[in-house]
Amino acid sequence: MSPIRIALNASLLFVAFILQESVISRMHLPITGFSLYLAIIVSMVLLENRTGAVILGFVGGIILDLSPSSQSPFGQWALVLTLVAYVIAVNSESIDEIVSRPVGLGLFVAAGTALSLALYLVLGSLLGESNGSLGRDAIVIAGNFFWTMLISPFFMPILIVIREVTVGARERI
Amino acid sequence: MARGGGNRSRLLLVILLVTSLFFITLDLRGVSVTKGSRSVTQSFLAPIQKGVSDLFSPVGRFFSDVKNFPSEKDKVAALASENARLKTQVLVNKDIQGQLTQLKGVLDLAGRGGYRVVAARVIGHGSSSTFSQTLTIDAGSADGITIDKTVIAEHGLVGVVKSVDAHSAIVLLMSDPAFKVGVRIARSQSVGVLSGTGGNSFALQLLDPAGNIVVGDTLFSNGSDGNTPFIPGVPVGVVSSVDHSSATLTQTASVKSYSDLNNVGVVSVVISAPTTAPKTMINPTPRATVIVYVTPTPSPTPTSSLSPSPTPLASKKATK
Repeated sequence: MSPIRIALNASLLFVAFILQESVISRMHLPITGFSLYLAIIVSMVLLENRTGAVILGFVGGIILDLSPSSQSPFGQWALVLTLVAYVIAVNSESIDEIVSRPVGLGLFVAAGTALSLALYLVLGSLLGESNGSLGRDAIVIAGNFFWTMLISPFFMPILIVIREVTVGARERI
Repeated sequence: MARGGGNRSRLLLVILLVTSLFFITLDLRGVSVTKGSRSVTQSFLAPIQKGVSDLFSPVGRFFSDVKNFPSEKDKVAALASENARLKTQVLVNKDIQGQLTQLKGVLDLAGRGGYRVVAARVIGHGSSSTFSQTLTIDAGSADGITIDKTVIAEHGLVGVVKSVDAHSAIVLLMSDPAFKVGVRIARSQSVGVLSGTGGNSFALQLLDPAGNIVVGDTLFSNGSDGNTPFIPGVPVGVVSSVDHSSATLTQTASVKSYSDLNNVGVVSVVISAPTTAPKTMINPTPRATVIVYVTPTPSPTPTSSLSPSPTPLASKKATK
Protein backbone atom coordinates (compact mmCIF):
# COMPACT_ATOMS: atom_id res chain seq x y z
CA MET A 1 0.00 0.00 0.00
CA SER A 2 1.58 3.25 -1.15
CA PRO A 3 1.74 6.29 1.15
CA ILE A 4 -0.61 8.16 -1.18
CA ARG A 5 -3.20 5.41 -0.86
CA ILE A 6 -2.82 5.31 2.90
CA ALA A 7 -3.42 9.06 2.96
CA LEU A 8 -6.41 8.78 0.63
CA ASN A 9 -7.95 5.95 2.63
CA ALA A 10 -7.31 7.82 5.87
CA SER A 11 -9.00 10.92 4.40
CA LEU A 12 -12.00 8.86 3.34
CA LEU A 13 -12.19 7.32 6.80
CA PHE A 14 -11.96 10.73 8.40
CA VAL A 15 -14.88 11.98 6.32
CA ALA A 16 -16.84 8.89 7.39
CA PHE A 17 -15.86 9.58 10.99
CA ILE A 18 -17.16 13.16 10.80
CA LEU A 19 -20.39 11.87 9.21
CA GLN A 20 -20.74 9.31 11.99
CA GLU A 21 -20.10 11.77 14.83
CA SER A 22 -22.14 14.65 13.39
CA VAL A 23 -25.02 13.14 11.44
CA ILE A 24 -25.52 9.42 12.09
CA SER A 25 -25.29 9.75 15.86
CA ARG A 26 -28.08 12.34 15.77
CA MET A 27 -30.49 9.95 14.04
CA HIS A 28 -32.60 8.30 16.70
CA LEU A 29 -33.05 5.00 14.90
CA PRO A 30 -34.88 2.09 16.50
CA ILE A 31 -32.67 -0.54 18.19
CA THR A 32 -29.77 1.83 18.91
CA GLY A 33 -28.75 2.68 15.34
CA PHE A 34 -25.58 1.73 13.54
CA SER A 35 -22.00 2.68 12.91
CA LEU A 36 -21.46 3.76 9.34
CA TYR A 37 -17.80 4.20 10.15
CA LEU A 38 -17.27 0.58 11.18
CA ALA A 39 -19.22 -0.63 8.17
CA ILE A 40 -17.02 1.42 5.84
CA ILE A 41 -13.82 0.15 7.45
CA VAL A 42 -14.91 -3.48 7.11
CA SER A 43 -15.88 -2.85 3.47
CA MET A 44 -12.57 -1.16 2.70
CA VAL A 45 -10.60 -3.94 4.38
CA LEU A 46 -12.35 -6.40 2.07
CA LEU A 47 -10.91 -4.58 -0.91
CA GLU A 48 -7.30 -4.59 0.32
CA ASN A 49 -4.48 -7.11 0.40
CA ARG A 50 -3.23 -8.48 3.72
CA THR A 51 -0.71 -5.71 4.44
CA GLY A 52 -3.08 -2.98 3.28
CA ALA A 53 -5.91 -4.41 5.38
CA VAL A 54 -3.83 -4.43 8.56
CA ILE A 55 -2.64 -0.83 8.02
CA LEU A 56 -6.18 0.27 7.20
CA GLY A 57 -7.55 -1.41 10.33
CA PHE A 58 -4.95 0.28 12.51
CA VAL A 59 -5.40 3.76 10.96
CA GLY A 60 -9.18 3.37 11.10
CA GLY A 61 -8.97 2.35 14.74
CA ILE A 62 -6.78 5.32 15.64
CA ILE A 63 -9.28 7.69 14.02
CA LEU A 64 -12.13 6.07 15.95
CA ASP A 65 -10.10 6.32 19.15
CA LEU A 66 -10.10 10.08 18.62
CA SER A 67 -13.87 10.17 19.15
CA PRO A 68 -14.48 12.66 21.97
CA SER A 69 -17.49 10.66 23.14
CA SER A 70 -15.39 7.54 23.63
CA GLN A 71 -14.90 6.38 27.20
CA SER A 72 -12.34 3.71 26.36
CA PRO A 73 -8.55 4.08 26.49
CA PHE A 74 -6.90 5.51 23.40
CA GLY A 75 -5.72 2.59 21.28
CA GLN A 76 -8.51 0.15 22.12
CA TRP A 77 -10.25 0.54 18.78
CA ALA A 78 -6.89 0.43 16.98
CA LEU A 79 -6.15 -2.94 18.57
CA VAL A 80 -9.61 -4.31 17.80
CA LEU A 81 -9.77 -3.15 14.19
CA THR A 82 -6.21 -4.27 13.43
CA LEU A 83 -7.14 -7.76 14.62
CA VAL A 84 -10.44 -7.78 12.73
CA ALA A 85 -8.74 -6.56 9.55
CA TYR A 86 -6.12 -9.28 9.83
CA VAL A 87 -8.72 -11.99 10.41
CA ILE A 88 -10.64 -10.83 7.34
CA ALA A 89 -7.50 -10.61 5.21
CA VAL A 90 -6.23 -14.06 6.26
CA ASN A 91 -9.56 -15.66 5.37
CA SER A 92 -9.86 -13.77 2.11
CA GLU A 93 -10.04 -16.89 -0.06
CA SER A 94 -13.17 -18.26 1.57
CA ILE A 95 -14.67 -14.78 2.02
CA ASP A 96 -14.41 -14.02 -1.70
CA GLU A 97 -17.13 -16.56 -2.45
CA ILE A 98 -19.50 -15.07 0.12
CA VAL A 99 -19.04 -11.42 -0.83
CA SER A 100 -19.45 -12.03 -4.56
CA ARG A 101 -23.23 -11.81 -4.05
CA PRO A 102 -24.83 -8.53 -2.85
CA VAL A 103 -26.72 -10.24 -0.01
CA GLY A 104 -23.60 -12.08 1.06
CA LEU A 105 -21.64 -8.85 0.99
CA GLY A 106 -24.21 -7.09 3.17
CA LEU A 107 -24.27 -9.97 5.61
CA PHE A 108 -20.48 -10.09 5.74
CA VAL A 109 -20.04 -6.36 6.37
CA ALA A 110 -22.71 -6.54 9.09
CA ALA A 111 -21.01 -9.57 10.65
CA GLY A 112 -17.64 -7.81 10.54
CA THR A 113 -19.13 -4.80 12.31
CA ALA A 114 -20.75 -7.01 14.93
CA LEU A 115 -17.46 -8.88 15.45
CA SER A 116 -15.63 -5.57 15.94
CA LEU A 117 -18.16 -4.41 18.53
CA ALA A 118 -18.05 -7.73 20.36
CA LEU A 119 -14.23 -7.71 20.45
CA TYR A 120 -14.32 -4.13 21.67
CA LEU A 121 -16.61 -5.15 24.52
CA VAL A 122 -14.47 -8.14 25.45
CA LEU A 123 -11.31 -6.04 25.46
CA GLY A 124 -13.13 -3.34 27.44
CA SER A 125 -14.14 -5.90 30.06
CA LEU A 126 -10.54 -7.08 30.29
CA LEU A 127 -9.47 -3.49 30.86
CA GLY A 128 -12.09 -3.06 33.59
CA GLU A 129 -14.62 -0.88 31.75
CA SER A 130 -18.33 -0.82 32.58
CA ASN A 131 -20.28 -1.59 29.43
CA GLY A 132 -23.74 -2.21 30.86
CA SER A 133 -25.67 -5.42 30.99
CA LEU A 134 -24.96 -8.31 28.63
CA GLY A 135 -28.52 -8.16 27.30
CA ARG A 136 -28.24 -4.49 26.49
CA ASP A 137 -24.90 -5.01 24.72
CA ALA A 138 -26.39 -7.88 22.73
CA ILE A 139 -29.22 -5.58 21.60
CA VAL A 140 -26.72 -2.90 20.54
CA ILE A 141 -24.72 -5.40 18.51
CA ALA A 142 -27.86 -6.92 16.98
CA GLY A 143 -29.14 -3.43 16.09
CA ASN A 144 -25.85 -2.58 14.45
CA PHE A 145 -25.91 -5.84 12.51
CA PHE A 146 -29.43 -5.19 11.26
CA TRP A 147 -28.88 -1.58 10.18
CA THR A 148 -25.46 -2.25 8.66
CA MET A 149 -26.95 -5.02 6.56
CA LEU A 150 -29.58 -2.59 5.31
CA ILE A 151 -27.23 0.27 4.47
CA SER A 152 -24.25 -1.60 3.02
CA PRO A 153 -25.73 -1.92 -0.51
CA PHE A 154 -25.90 1.88 -0.66
CA PHE A 155 -22.31 2.78 0.21
CA MET A 156 -20.47 -0.27 -1.13
CA PRO A 157 -20.71 0.79 -4.82
CA ILE A 158 -19.38 4.23 -3.86
CA LEU A 159 -16.39 2.66 -2.13
CA ILE A 160 -15.66 0.45 -5.13
CA VAL A 161 -15.72 3.48 -7.45
CA ILE A 162 -13.40 5.41 -5.11
CA ARG A 163 -11.03 2.45 -5.04
CA GLU A 164 -11.01 2.21 -8.82
CA VAL A 165 -10.03 5.87 -8.96
CA THR A 166 -7.38 5.76 -6.23
CA VAL A 167 -5.70 2.39 -6.87
CA GLY A 168 -2.95 2.58 -9.48
CA ALA A 169 -3.08 0.21 -12.46
CA ARG A 170 0.13 -1.51 -11.33
CA GLU A 171 -1.28 -2.30 -7.90
CA ARG A 172 -4.42 -3.74 -9.40
CA ILE A 173 -2.33 -6.27 -11.33
CA MET B 1 -10.01 -8.27 -5.08
CA ALA B 2 -6.31 -7.80 -4.56
CA ARG B 3 -4.74 -10.22 -2.14
CA GLY B 4 -1.21 -10.84 -0.95
CA GLY B 5 1.09 -10.71 2.07
CA GLY B 6 2.73 -13.31 4.28
CA ASN B 7 5.54 -12.86 6.75
CA ARG B 8 5.62 -9.14 6.09
CA SER B 9 1.96 -8.70 7.03
CA ARG B 10 2.43 -10.86 10.13
CA LEU B 11 5.35 -8.72 11.27
CA LEU B 12 3.31 -5.59 10.55
CA LEU B 13 0.40 -7.02 12.55
CA VAL B 14 2.64 -7.61 15.57
CA ILE B 15 4.12 -4.09 15.33
CA LEU B 16 0.69 -2.47 15.09
CA LEU B 17 -0.76 -4.55 17.94
CA VAL B 18 2.19 -3.63 20.16
CA THR B 19 1.71 0.03 19.17
CA SER B 20 -1.97 -0.17 20.10
CA LEU B 21 -1.12 -1.74 23.46
CA PHE B 22 1.47 1.00 23.98
CA PHE B 23 -1.21 3.66 23.39
CA ILE B 24 -3.62 1.90 25.75
CA THR B 25 -0.94 1.75 28.45
CA LEU B 26 -0.13 5.43 27.99
CA ASP B 27 -3.80 6.33 28.26
CA LEU B 28 -4.42 4.22 31.35
CA ARG B 29 -1.38 5.83 32.98
CA GLY B 30 -2.93 9.23 32.31
CA VAL B 31 -0.43 10.59 29.78
CA SER B 32 -1.76 13.90 28.53
CA VAL B 33 -0.84 13.31 24.86
CA THR B 34 -3.65 10.82 24.35
CA LYS B 35 -6.15 12.88 26.35
CA GLY B 36 -5.16 15.97 24.37
CA SER B 37 -5.79 14.28 21.04
CA ARG B 38 -9.46 13.76 21.92
CA SER B 39 -9.71 17.35 23.05
CA VAL B 40 -8.37 18.52 19.68
CA THR B 41 -10.92 16.34 17.88
CA GLN B 42 -13.66 17.78 20.04
CA SER B 43 -12.59 21.33 19.14
CA PHE B 44 -12.61 20.37 15.48
CA LEU B 45 -15.93 18.51 15.56
CA ALA B 46 -17.92 20.94 17.71
CA PRO B 47 -18.49 23.59 14.98
CA ILE B 48 -19.45 20.86 12.49
CA GLN B 49 -21.83 19.26 14.98
CA LYS B 50 -23.33 22.67 15.70
CA GLY B 51 -23.87 23.29 11.99
CA VAL B 52 -25.39 19.86 11.48
CA SER B 53 -27.56 20.37 14.54
CA ASP B 54 -28.95 23.60 13.08
CA LEU B 55 -29.50 21.93 9.73
CA PHE B 56 -31.08 18.67 10.88
CA SER B 57 -32.93 19.66 14.02
CA PRO B 58 -36.35 19.83 12.28
CA VAL B 59 -35.98 16.27 10.97
CA GLY B 60 -33.56 14.83 13.50
CA ARG B 61 -36.26 13.14 15.54
CA PHE B 62 -38.14 11.79 12.56
CA PHE B 63 -37.43 8.15 13.30
CA SER B 64 -38.19 8.38 17.01
CA ASP B 65 -41.38 10.30 16.26
CA VAL B 66 -42.49 7.62 13.79
CA LYS B 67 -41.65 4.91 16.32
CA ASN B 68 -43.62 6.64 19.06
CA PHE B 69 -46.57 7.58 16.85
CA PRO B 70 -49.22 5.25 18.41
CA SER B 71 -48.39 6.30 21.96
CA GLU B 72 -48.10 9.94 20.88
CA LYS B 73 -51.63 9.78 19.47
CA ASP B 74 -53.03 8.79 22.88
CA LYS B 75 -50.87 11.40 24.50
CA VAL B 76 -52.27 14.11 22.21
CA ALA B 77 -55.83 13.14 23.15
CA ALA B 78 -54.99 13.22 26.86
CA LEU B 79 -53.23 16.52 26.46
CA ALA B 80 -56.18 18.01 24.59
CA SER B 81 -58.53 17.30 27.49
CA GLU B 82 -55.97 18.49 29.98
CA ASN B 83 -55.53 21.64 27.94
CA ALA B 84 -59.24 22.39 28.15
CA ARG B 85 -59.14 22.00 31.93
CA LEU B 86 -56.08 24.18 32.22
CA LYS B 87 -57.65 26.92 30.11
CA THR B 88 -60.27 27.47 32.79
CA GLN B 89 -57.59 27.50 35.44
CA VAL B 90 -55.66 30.09 33.47
CA LEU B 91 -58.60 32.48 33.76
CA VAL B 92 -58.55 32.13 37.54
CA ASN B 93 -54.82 32.50 37.78
CA LYS B 94 -54.45 35.52 35.56
CA ASP B 95 -54.03 37.95 38.43
CA ILE B 96 -51.24 35.95 40.01
CA GLN B 97 -49.42 35.53 36.72
CA GLY B 98 -47.81 38.90 37.22
CA GLN B 99 -46.40 37.71 40.52
CA LEU B 100 -45.13 34.51 38.95
CA THR B 101 -43.40 36.42 36.16
CA GLN B 102 -41.66 38.60 38.71
CA LEU B 103 -40.67 35.57 40.76
CA LYS B 104 -39.33 33.83 37.71
CA GLY B 105 -37.18 36.81 36.91
CA VAL B 106 -35.85 36.96 40.45
CA LEU B 107 -35.21 33.28 40.84
CA ASP B 108 -33.93 32.64 37.28
CA LEU B 109 -32.38 29.30 36.37
CA ALA B 110 -29.95 29.49 39.25
CA GLY B 111 -32.96 28.85 41.44
CA ARG B 112 -33.64 29.28 45.09
CA GLY B 113 -30.47 27.42 45.91
CA GLY B 114 -28.39 30.22 44.46
CA TYR B 115 -26.53 28.04 42.00
CA ARG B 116 -25.01 29.81 39.02
CA VAL B 117 -25.68 27.98 35.79
CA VAL B 118 -24.74 28.18 32.13
CA ALA B 119 -27.43 27.22 29.65
CA ALA B 120 -26.29 25.23 26.62
CA ARG B 121 -27.78 23.60 23.56
CA VAL B 122 -27.23 19.93 22.77
CA ILE B 123 -25.34 19.73 19.47
CA GLY B 124 -24.37 16.07 19.36
CA HIS B 125 -24.96 12.65 20.80
CA GLY B 126 -22.46 9.92 21.62
CA SER B 127 -21.46 7.70 18.75
CA SER B 128 -23.31 4.40 18.52
CA SER B 129 -19.96 2.68 18.08
CA THR B 130 -18.55 3.58 21.47
CA PHE B 131 -21.20 2.13 23.83
CA SER B 132 -20.91 5.30 25.91
CA GLN B 133 -23.88 7.55 26.52
CA THR B 134 -22.80 11.15 26.03
CA LEU B 135 -24.01 14.51 24.78
CA THR B 136 -22.04 17.33 23.21
CA ILE B 137 -23.12 20.82 24.27
CA ASP B 138 -22.27 24.17 22.70
CA ALA B 139 -20.75 25.78 25.79
CA GLY B 140 -17.26 25.23 27.10
CA SER B 141 -14.45 26.62 29.20
CA ALA B 142 -14.97 30.09 27.68
CA ASP B 143 -18.37 30.09 29.39
CA GLY B 144 -16.92 29.03 32.72
CA ILE B 145 -17.55 25.30 32.42
CA THR B 146 -14.99 22.90 33.85
CA ILE B 147 -15.00 19.12 34.11
CA ASP B 148 -17.00 17.34 36.83
CA LYS B 149 -19.83 19.88 36.87
CA THR B 150 -23.44 18.84 37.35
CA VAL B 151 -25.62 19.07 34.25
CA ILE B 152 -29.36 19.51 34.67
CA ALA B 153 -32.30 19.85 32.32
CA GLU B 154 -35.82 21.15 32.73
CA HIS B 155 -36.93 18.32 34.99
CA GLY B 156 -33.80 17.19 36.76
CA LEU B 157 -30.37 15.63 36.56
CA VAL B 158 -28.91 14.81 33.14
CA GLY B 159 -25.29 13.95 33.82
CA VAL B 160 -21.87 15.35 34.51
CA VAL B 161 -19.32 17.20 32.39
CA LYS B 162 -16.64 14.76 31.28
CA SER B 163 -14.40 16.89 29.09
CA VAL B 164 -14.30 20.52 28.03
CA ASP B 165 -12.76 22.60 25.31
CA ALA B 166 -13.16 26.32 24.64
CA HIS B 167 -16.63 26.28 23.10
CA SER B 168 -18.02 22.81 23.67
CA ALA B 169 -18.17 20.11 26.30
CA ILE B 170 -18.93 16.41 26.51
CA VAL B 171 -21.52 15.38 29.08
CA LEU B 172 -21.57 11.84 30.42
CA LEU B 173 -25.26 10.98 30.66
CA MET B 174 -26.67 9.39 33.78
CA SER B 175 -27.73 6.42 31.64
CA ASP B 176 -24.10 5.48 30.95
CA PRO B 177 -23.14 2.23 32.69
CA ALA B 178 -20.12 3.97 34.22
CA PHE B 179 -22.26 6.69 35.79
CA LYS B 180 -22.95 6.62 39.54
CA VAL B 181 -24.55 9.26 41.75
CA GLY B 182 -25.37 9.37 45.45
CA VAL B 183 -29.09 9.93 45.99
CA ARG B 184 -31.45 10.57 48.88
CA ILE B 185 -35.02 9.33 49.09
CA ALA B 186 -37.25 12.33 49.80
CA ARG B 187 -39.71 10.36 51.96
CA SER B 188 -37.37 8.51 54.28
CA GLN B 189 -34.11 10.45 53.77
CA SER B 190 -32.34 7.11 53.22
CA VAL B 191 -29.30 7.38 50.99
CA GLY B 192 -28.26 5.13 48.15
CA VAL B 193 -26.32 4.89 44.94
CA LEU B 194 -27.99 5.23 41.54
CA SER B 195 -26.20 3.65 38.57
CA GLY B 196 -26.80 3.90 34.85
CA THR B 197 -27.60 0.70 33.00
CA GLY B 198 -27.19 1.84 29.42
CA GLY B 199 -30.97 2.01 28.93
CA ASN B 200 -33.92 4.05 30.12
CA SER B 201 -34.06 2.58 33.62
CA PHE B 202 -31.59 3.05 36.44
CA ALA B 203 -30.49 0.80 39.28
CA LEU B 204 -30.80 2.07 42.84
CA GLN B 205 -29.07 0.39 45.76
CA LEU B 206 -29.64 1.66 49.28
CA LEU B 207 -26.65 2.02 51.56
CA ASP B 208 -28.69 1.73 54.71
CA PRO B 209 -29.69 -1.92 55.48
CA ALA B 210 -32.64 -0.70 57.57
CA GLY B 211 -33.93 1.66 54.87
CA ASN B 212 -36.80 0.77 52.62
CA ILE B 213 -37.91 1.81 49.15
CA VAL B 214 -41.48 2.24 47.97
CA VAL B 215 -42.68 2.56 44.39
CA GLY B 216 -43.18 6.25 43.68
CA ASP B 217 -40.37 7.40 45.98
CA THR B 218 -38.74 10.56 44.71
CA LEU B 219 -34.96 10.69 44.54
CA PHE B 220 -32.81 13.75 44.86
CA SER B 221 -29.05 13.99 44.43
CA ASN B 222 -27.18 13.77 47.68
CA GLY B 223 -24.35 16.10 46.68
CA SER B 224 -20.61 15.62 46.66
CA ASP B 225 -17.79 17.09 48.65
CA GLY B 226 -17.29 20.65 47.43
CA ASN B 227 -20.32 20.22 45.12
CA THR B 228 -18.12 18.38 42.62
CA PRO B 229 -19.21 16.46 40.65
CA PHE B 230 -22.74 16.62 42.07
CA ILE B 231 -24.66 19.38 43.76
CA PRO B 232 -27.31 18.39 46.30
CA GLY B 233 -31.05 18.61 45.85
CA VAL B 234 -31.40 18.00 42.12
CA PRO B 235 -34.42 15.84 41.22
CA VAL B 236 -33.03 12.60 39.83
CA GLY B 237 -35.92 10.22 39.29
CA VAL B 238 -38.78 8.21 40.71
CA VAL B 239 -38.78 4.58 41.84
CA SER B 240 -40.68 2.48 39.30
CA SER B 241 -40.23 -0.97 40.81
CA VAL B 242 -38.68 -2.48 43.91
CA ASP B 243 -36.67 -5.67 44.03
CA HIS B 244 -37.98 -7.71 46.96
CA SER B 245 -35.44 -10.52 46.70
CA SER B 246 -33.31 -11.16 49.77
CA ALA B 247 -30.16 -11.81 47.74
CA THR B 248 -28.59 -8.47 48.68
CA LEU B 249 -27.95 -6.97 52.08
CA THR B 250 -29.64 -3.71 51.19
CA GLN B 251 -32.75 -3.09 49.11
CA THR B 252 -32.49 -2.43 45.38
CA ALA B 253 -34.93 -0.84 42.97
CA SER B 254 -35.43 0.25 39.41
CA VAL B 255 -35.72 3.99 38.83
CA LYS B 256 -37.17 6.10 36.04
CA SER B 257 -35.40 9.36 35.31
CA TYR B 258 -37.21 12.70 35.44
CA SER B 259 -35.30 13.86 32.38
CA ASP B 260 -36.01 12.32 28.99
CA LEU B 261 -32.38 11.71 28.10
CA ASN B 262 -33.18 10.70 24.51
CA ASN B 263 -34.84 13.98 23.69
CA VAL B 264 -33.05 16.54 25.80
CA GLY B 265 -32.34 19.66 23.73
CA VAL B 266 -31.26 22.30 26.21
CA VAL B 267 -29.33 21.79 29.42
CA SER B 268 -27.86 23.89 32.21
CA VAL B 269 -24.42 23.34 33.66
CA VAL B 270 -24.08 24.32 37.30
CA ILE B 271 -20.81 26.22 37.42
CA SER B 272 -20.74 27.46 40.99
CA ALA B 273 -22.39 26.77 44.30
CA PRO B 274 -24.04 29.44 46.48
CA THR B 275 -22.00 31.23 49.10
CA THR B 276 -24.92 31.66 51.46
CA ALA B 277 -27.63 29.33 52.77
CA PRO B 278 -29.77 27.58 51.69
CA LYS B 279 -27.44 25.32 49.77
CA THR B 280 -29.56 22.29 49.22
CA MET B 281 -32.36 23.51 47.00
CA ILE B 282 -32.46 24.06 43.31
CA ASN B 283 -35.02 25.55 41.02
CA PRO B 284 -35.91 22.83 38.50
CA THR B 285 -38.77 20.86 40.01
CA PRO B 286 -40.06 17.44 39.02
CA ARG B 287 -42.67 17.45 36.29
CA ALA B 288 -45.35 16.15 38.64
CA THR B 289 -45.04 19.08 41.02
CA VAL B 290 -45.22 21.93 38.53
CA ILE B 291 -48.99 22.12 38.22
CA VAL B 292 -49.51 21.65 41.94
CA TYR B 293 -47.50 24.69 42.91
CA VAL B 294 -48.78 26.98 40.17
CA THR B 295 -52.45 26.78 41.13
CA PRO B 296 -52.90 28.42 44.54
CA THR B 297 -56.07 30.34 45.41
CA PRO B 298 -56.15 33.99 44.27
CA SER B 299 -54.64 36.58 46.57
CA PRO B 300 -57.17 38.09 49.04
CA THR B 301 -56.00 41.65 48.31
CA PRO B 302 -55.52 41.74 44.56
CA THR B 303 -56.20 45.45 44.09
CA SER B 304 -53.68 46.75 46.57
CA SER B 305 -50.80 44.36 46.01
CA LEU B 306 -51.01 43.52 42.34
CA SER B 307 -51.92 46.76 40.60
CA PRO B 308 -48.78 47.95 38.86
CA SER B 309 -47.47 51.31 39.90
CA PRO B 310 -47.47 53.85 37.05
CA THR B 311 -44.19 54.51 35.31
CA PRO B 312 -42.74 58.04 35.46
CA LEU B 313 -43.74 58.59 31.82
CA ALA B 314 -47.28 57.47 32.52
CA SER B 315 -47.51 59.73 35.54
CA LYS B 316 -46.31 62.67 33.51
CA LYS B 317 -48.96 62.06 30.87
CA ALA B 318 -51.60 61.71 33.54
CA THR B 319 -50.76 65.06 35.09
CA LYS B 320 -51.07 66.78 31.74
